[in-house]
Amino acid sequence: MQENYLAKWLNNELTELELEEFKKSKEFAAYQRIADTSKKLQAPDFDSAKAWELLQESKGKQETPKVISISPFKAFLRVAAVIAVLLTGAYFYFGTLDKTIITKLAENKEISLPDASEIWLNAESKLSYNEKNWDSERAITLDGEAYFNVAKGKKFTVTTAQGTVTVLGTQFNVENRDGFFEVTCYEGLVSVLFNDEEFKLPAGNSAIAINGRLNKSKVQINGRPSWVNKESSFRSIPVKFVISELERQHNIEVILGDIDENQLFTGTFSNTDLDLALKSISTPLKISFKLEDNKVLFYEESAP
Amino acid sequence: MKADEPQNVCKESTYSTLFNAYSKTIFNYIYYKFGNEEKANDAVQEAFVKLWENCAKVAPEKAKSFLYTVANNLYLNVIKAEKVRLKYADKSLKTTQETPEFLMEENEFRAKLDQALNDLPDNQRSTFLLNRIDGKKYVEIAEMEGVSVKAIEKRMHLALKALREKIEGI
Repeated sequence: MQENYLAKWLNNELTELELEEFKKSKEFAAYQRIADTSKKLQAPDFDSAKAWELLQESKGKQETPKVISISPFKAFLRVAAVIAVLLTGAYFYFGTLDKTIITKLAENKEISLPDASEIWLNAESKLSYNEKNWDSERAITLDGEAYFNVAKGKKFTVTTAQGTVTVLGTQFNVENRDGFFEVTCYEGLVSVLFNDEEFKLPAGNSAIAINGRLNKSKVQINGRPSWVNKESSFRSIPVKFVISELERQHNIEVILGDIDENQLFTGTFSNTDLDLALKSISTPLKISFKLEDNKVLFYEESAP
Repeated sequence: MKADEPQNVCKESTYSTLFNAYSKTIFNYIYYKFGNEEKANDAVQEAFVKLWENCAKVAPEKAKSFLYTVANNLYLNVIKAEKVRLKYADKSLKTTQETPEFLMEENEFRAKLDQALNDLPDNQRSTFLLNRIDGKKYVEIAEMEGVSVKAIEKRMHLALKALREKIEGI
């Protein structure tokens, strides 16, 4: 019999001959019983969850591992962590400074400023201002479209990516969309800075810049932008901007068939009734539309 | 975790995987040796805290032997082991229709086995129980104890022999 045969036997490593010989021995039954019975034994319960918890506590007490890593990736992580902390800090710091109001698609908001000026924010727009400094500097940053009713007082500035509008106290509308910038003055006088050029816009005037080209037109004095009354109005505006507004107001997706998106549109559509709005656009343009779920397809009416 | 992903013990996921894989074995190992649950729990804590402190130095594939070494060294100076108390998984007995005589005889045998186990040298007992209860292969036990496979086979052989002799002598 080989060395340590009992261990070999438990591990099924005995040869057939050895096994036979072992089974014949008078001790075999006793060994078999020890092997079988010991297999039924159980260790005391180990509370793994509690051990893990304890471990987290002692890990927490430790400083981070004292070892300096030579792995460049860890160094990168450290830098990344610092940047993340700084960014987070900066985000919260500036978050307390500036108040930001955002409207989603098909949503309007009415905002009262600390000096009782009022702002109506049209759909899919973003407006921010500093509430703390409001008394010393009335400044608004706008992305999208808003109508302002500014209380008399110090200079009131609206900054957009395309132009800046400055007033003292008046009612005006600013629209700043991709490739489209419009300022309309309903009361008083506003000063507009556009493409490094400053011009005054008296009440009853509107300035529209499409792809950087400026045009002025007349509006009704003491009026209000149509969207404040749940309608969107256009006068000689390329169809693509009209469609963009339709998408914003009704939260839909529009597909233009083979329609010239640069042809001009004059008219008004409802911001509340989609079916009516679609008819208001399609009828004057002599086109047809198909509405499915949230998608609208405009297409050229086939020849009669 | 993907095999080709660089692993690091300092990474929480790698660390917790190691904990799940080895904490129970370390607990059992120390318990079989010293018969003290508190010591066994402490050994788990000690081993994993040390592993965390040295996580940047220990490669994941070396973590296992690192853990066992720490657990082993912790009780180098413990001289006398306490009584090891083990439970029996009793499912087989409860479901079978055994005669009272058989059950009594079985209980007697178990009592003898318990006593014989407690009389074994610490390292024979831990080796024997790691194999019987935890199903550890001799190679794994050799790694835990830091000795050769042959030495483990020797311990196993001697343990079985001693157990039989003890039980027959009682």
